[in-house]
Amino acid sequence: MQIDRTISLLKQGKHITEDAVYALCLKSQELLMTEANVTHVDTPVTICGDIHGQLHDLLTLFDKSGGVEKTRYVFLGDFVDRGFYSLESFLLLICYKLKYPDRITLIRGNHETRQITKVYGFYDEIMRKYGNSNVWRYCCEVFDYLSLGAIINNNIFCVHGGLSPDVNTIEEIRAIDRKQEVPHEGAMCDLLWSDPDDVEKWSLSPRGAGFVFGQNEVNQFLHTNKVELIARAHQLVMEGYKEMFDGGLVTVWSAPNYCYRCGNVAAVLRIEDDLQRNYTIFDAVQPQDGVGNAIIPTKKSQMDYFL
Amino acid sequence: MSDESQLNVPEKRLLTEDDMKLWKASTTKQDLLSFIEMLAQSVKGHENEQIEKPVSQAITSTETILLTSVEKFIENHPVPDNTKSRFGKIEFRDFYDDVQSHSIELLKETYPSLTDFQTTQLSTYLIESWGNKRRIDYGSGHELNFLCFLYGLTQYGVFSLETDSVNLVLIIFIKYLNIMRILESKYWLEPAGSHGVWGLDDYHFLPFLFGAFQLATHKHLKPMSIHNDEVVDMFKDKYLYFGCISFINSIKTSASLRWHSPMLDDISGVKKWSKVAEGMIKMYNAEVLSKLPIMQHFYFSDFLKCPDGVTLPHDSKEGNIHDEELEEGLSHVHNTYGDCCGIKVPSAFAASEANKKTQRRIPFD
Repeated sequence: MQIDRTISLLKQGKHITEDAVYALCLKSQELLMTEANVTHVDTPVTICGDIHGQLHDLLTLFDKSGGVEKTRYVFLGDFVDRGFYSLESFLLLICYKLKYPDRITLIRGNHETRQITKVYGFYDEIMRKYGNSNVWRYCCEVFDYLSLGAIINNNIFCVHGGLSPDVNTIEEIRAIDRKQEVPHEGAMCDLLWSDPDDVEKWSLSPRGAGFVFGQNEVNQFLHTNKVELIARAHQLVMEGYKEMFDGGLVTVWSAPNYCYRCGNVAAVLRIEDDLQRNYTIFDAVQPQDGVGNAIIPTKKSQMDYFL
Repeated sequence: MSDESQLNVPEKRLLTEDDMKLWKASTTKQDLLSFIEMLAQSVKGHENEQIEKPVSQAITSTETILLTSVEKFIENHPVPDNTKSRFGKIEFRDFYDDVQSHSIELLKETYPSLTDFQTTQLSTYLIESWGNKRRIDYGSGHELNFLCFLYGLTQYGVFSLETDSVNLVLIIFIKYLNIMRILESKYWLEPAGSHGVWGLDDYHFLPFLFGAFQLATHKHLKPMSIHNDEVVDMFKDKYLYFGCISFINSIKTSASLRWHSPMLDDISGVKKWSKVAEGMIKMYNAEVLSKLPIMQHFYFSDFLKCPDGVTLPHDSKEGNIHDEELEEGLSHVHNTYGDCCGIKVPSAFAASEANKKTQRRIPFD
């Protein structure tokens, strides 16, 4: 089967042809199109945070948490930007999605947009690997179809960033027309950009998008929607995860030693049938020169400056 | 509405791609780039120690009064050991406040010939040179502010390019870089707008640019030498470029350069440093001076004139009170966000609601 071959190539960090990427992107759009803005997911399930193109660490993640053959996953977004293998990481996830549609849920992060990937590395990565931006465009088309959230057993709300002053109920999220570039403001933007902090009320975010929200907003949301936990990613946590507000919110971060410099560990959160939370912590694996899958693409578009 | 000729404080103006077109074609940008190029040319073949003598009073004062004072502000704000979080240390904000509150007095002490107006113009750039107070981050845009500061001092006749250019790089810029290294490591500054592995460096650009010029005439060292640890160690204090490589290697210890810095790896494949140097100028022009995400934070002033036709600044005092929020691109016409700090929305900003989508600054992550 073609998809198995692609998965095998991706796991080795090997080059995927432009045509193959196009076909994959088209298929995954068709599949994602049918999903709701907020997908229902059953337990047991493993919740994963930011990946940021750290393919080797993503492989470790699957390794340490059971693998997609045996485990259900929710990924909270930010698959791309900054790391060396944004493309391969994202394609691997959509291959799994195509192969095991019920076992993997992909939620959109604030990096899954045209504007942000142009600034933070994914665009540069594609230019370097392919010498043109076609593959970047295909992927961005897929980004537009990713879910905005998930709900686990009607009890745990999953989202990339956090809450929005424009959203009181999960039902309101279902009404959003999500198939577009992430807007600069409003509910869809906030869900992908907001952060929790010790604040009394909705506050301006230093990021320039989304809001900062506190315990009051979280309690209100949990109460209104009859859920017990908000699981989100979006912010690096040295210990891999961090619970806040009496356990009403958790940040999960799944990119160890982020950007080769942060020295953090990564975590995934497994939710059992009784909703018990089990965290798995893992460290970074390092790509080794001249060993195994150390395939470095050779197209060097940035080099035009130095010709 | 302030007329540019009577501009009281420097202002950010570039918001749209149309603004960028005007900026890219402007003499202001050309002059600034020429300034950087002249500084770079002046250190061609120079090791860090090879300063120009005699050293002018202005250079000495900048080093011993201004920059030494900034260094002292850092000492005044130590970071307690017990903070576990990796995130930027909030003591940085106290350091920043010190620079901000002392900037005018420091500038007057360092450069007694300046008028009050000139001091005010310069202080914005000086304050912005050390990173962002709220986000506790730093990037090539902040670095550019320091260059603008030196540019302004040159425009005001404090420095002369003829006699000071070598020392502006080898004394002043190196001292600035050393202070930045302290700030970056002590307060864990986040790289602003980091491209991750796909950028030249997490924080800096200009030391690579100046550094490549230093090496442009070197007989033996090649761009490929950055992969040789012994060579890097031997030359890290002699040339800025090797100093940068050494710094990166000390931070990113878990993988080799080709993984964490593919761009530097690519550049190491260029045959001659002179080509690297030329390329650095082109790249700085394209990737820093021509990029909206960076230039949207660029300040125009008395000595860096905003080109005609660029989006008008937000007028009125409210605009200034709200400057930080505006800078962050947060809309004050967010309908469901009732109180909006209770302060009136600046009129020019409100009026632009119709096309605000293109007028929002690109957010940070």
